[in-house]
Amino acid sequence: MSSWYKSWILLTGFILFYVAYLLFGAFVFSTIERPVEDKLKRDIQVLKEEFLNQSCVNATSLEHFLEGVLQANKYGISILPNSSASSNWDLASSLFFANTLVTTVGYGHTTPLSDTGKAFSIFYALLGVPFTMLVLTACVQRLMHLVTYGPISMCRQKIGLEPLAATAIHFAILLLVVVLGFFVVPAVVFSYIEDTWSFLDAIYFCFITLCTIGLGDYVPGEKPGQNFRSLYKISVMVYLFVGLMMMYLVLRAFHRMADLHGLTSFFQLPHCDEDIEEDKEPIIEAGHEDQHEAEDSAKPLDPASQTSYNTINR
Amino acid sequence: MRNSKKRAFGREEGSGSGTGSASGTGRVVRRAGTGSRQARVKNQEDEKKRGWEKTGADRTNAVAPPDLLDPKSAAHNSKPRLSFSAAKPLVLNSPEDEYDTTRFTVMRWKTVSVIFFLVVLYLIVGALVFRALEQPHESQQKLAILAEKLDFLSLHACVNSSELEDLVKQVISAIRAGVNPSANSSNQTSLWDLSSSFFFAGTVITTIGFGNIAPHTEGGRIFCIIYALLGIPLFGFLLAGVGDQLGTIFGKGINRVEKIVGSLPQKWKVSQTKIRVISTVIFILFGCVLFVALPAVIFKHIEGWSTLESIYFVVITLTTIGFGDFVAGEKGLEKGGSEIEYLDYYKPVVWFWILIGLAYFAAVLSMIGDWFRVISKKTKEEVGEFRIHAAEWTANVSAEFKETRRRLSVDISNKFERAASIKRRLSSELGLNPITQEMTPGRRTLSVNLGPGDEREAYPNLALSLTPVPGALARNGSGLYLNGLSPDYAEVAIIESL
Repeated sequence: MSSWYKSWILLTGFILFYVAYLLFGAFVFSTIERPVEDKLKRDIQVLKEEFLNQSCVNATSLEHFLEGVLQANKYGISILPNSSASSNWDLASSLFFANTLVTTVGYGHTTPLSDTGKAFSIFYALLGVPFTMLVLTACVQRLMHLVTYGPISMCRQKIGLEPLAATAIHFAILLLVVVLGFFVVPAVVFSYIEDTWSFLDAIYFCFITLCTIGLGDYVPGEKPGQNFRSLYKISVMVYLFVGLMMMYLVLRAFHRMADLHGLTSFFQLPHCDEDIEEDKEPIIEAGHEDQHEAEDSAKPLDPASQTSYNTINR
Repeated sequence: MRNSKKRAFGREEGSGSGTGSASGTGRVVRRAGTGSRQARVKNQEDEKKRGWEKTGADRTNAVAPPDLLDPKSAAHNSKPRLSFSAAKPLVLNSPEDEYDTTRFTVMRWKTVSVIFFLVVLYLIVGALVFRALEQPHESQQKLAILAEKLDFLSLHACVNSSELEDLVKQVISAIRAGVNPSANSSNQTSLWDLSSSFFFAGTVITTIGFGNIAPHTEGGRIFCIIYALLGIPLFGFLLAGVGDQLGTIFGKGINRVEKIVGSLPQKWKVSQTKIRVISTVIFILFGCVLFVALPAVIFKHIEGWSTLESIYFVVITLTTIGFGDFVAGEKGLEKGGSEIEYLDYYKPVVWFWILIGLAYFAAVLSMIGDWFRVISKKTKEEVGEFRIHAAEWTANVSAEFKETRRRLSVDISNKFERAASIKRRLSSELGLNPITQEMTPGRRTLSVNLGPGDEREAYPNLALSLTPVPGALARNGSGLYLNGLSPDYAEVAIIESL
């Protein structure tokens, strides 16, 4: 079977597996959430009836009113008294919004109301998203040298570990550090600052944010009367950026490790950077890292132009 | 995150069957066969053209400063399948090459910080614009809803404000849970029936995350986290695969076009770059029509949104931002009474569209990234070449200058020697006549008479430190004249007449 054929088949298999995964998730979510939803429905109906019973309001005017309220709420405007002070579009919040737009998190707790705002969001996102991705990639490439290649080679030289073991250990440590530093600690901080959030809610928020899913059910800094709101929002922005970078880094480290261990070639998945080449012949991944490095340095770097450049600087 | 993953996988490996290191070395790796086919074809063509040496870009890269972002990613990312770069980027020395690492790192930190500041600036500009656009609307809405509330309260006197607010709070949290209190509870569809849960799972995995549906139970949230942890990489791989296929198809198309154009008679020949650019533009346009414009029209028709809102929804979804203010297939509460009957296959089709559209968007975005890289690389190359030329020029000039000085100094020392020998001869002949007695000590300047005219032009520099001291003596006959020379320098003047 030619490799092209094989890749198509693998892809189809992948898609099917993915669909199965989705179905599985759907089923589980449905089973867990539906009873709660039903109960809530009943509760709200009861509440409405009670309200209607004890007052002179009739159903239609109440519903009309509620529609208006909910419409406003969709855009983040609440009629509750103590929330009228802060705007959703002051500078810090707008910056926060632009940030969620550009990192594709997209909470949705505030969305552009005006048509101009929507049109502007479109263009802003189309430019900003690649831009941000570029920045993040660039930073991560550099960080990889610092965080991954450096320690691993140091480990190998000093402790004399095998490359496979060294990479695996390093990845485990990196993962632990990232989880602690970017999930647990921020979750503690968030659960402390936001009164209504429990620790689990805060971890859920951190996770949903750093994966750029951004459901929007929890958004920091939205409670009315928040102290230092601007500072808070800006620090959340910084957390978002740095956290994204770290997630990306972990991903790259994982990819590299998978490469080394031959997993990616086993599943015929894309390889990590260094190994990308035209395929002429298969190469076993593991253990060839050193050989490759030797070959690299021995590669003819086309000395002609180099020597001429060097000889100029007498 | 998955987007970034798309970058990590798709752009670098998947959508780009990266060309990585140049041809010629044995270090090739078997890749997921799909994209490499086209890359293989291209590489063979390149090899025929250039043999086993590195490609032009590599050569210039060996000399010029390295790529803007990262030589490695440039190396594999490059796949000119979608970009017009004809040159393959250089492969790198291994990261363990310390000198190179530091050299690249130093150069790249500068660019990264520049880009970072640009991003911050971009964000600030966006914030200002958003505030200017949205705040007036927001205040308007606030006033409107407050007025409504007051109206309501005044109309229905038996309701007091706090009761109303309680009710509103409850209603809002119910809405967040997806329950619509306005509707009649019997014909209401659940937000957690199978198809909606499927859709929700899809939004979680693609990291779009609309948010109109969100898990409320603790169990639901924990499961959501675990589910996403596994599902996002899974989707990332899928996207890489699909993007790769798209890219391969596109690349093959370009190759075919190139072959056709190549076989045309000479006068119709168009440069390779032009072909690539044109085909990329066509690709983008076609993709835009297929994945953006067409769905927008369909959504506008089915969901009843305005044109702007449909396009807004399409863009926000396909870039995985996913605000959730507009969601296809979830009618929500905007229009109150009228519920739209969706066909059964509507939601799955929407989901499928999201998948393909995401792959397309990823391909386009990575192509834009490629272009940035190529442009920056080309600029760097040009700047590097310019620097090289400037260095050459300065080196040449300074070398010439040194050479001239050297020759001059040799000349002068030669002349001094001859003058010394002549002085000895003269003094021995003339018996120590005080040549120097009539000379005014004057300044120790050296005035050189360059005897015959042509010599004077030949060594203009030799008129060093001229300070003609008055009272020059001239010796007759021999064509010497001394201008206030100190005894030590008399010899030079004598020499010139020789």
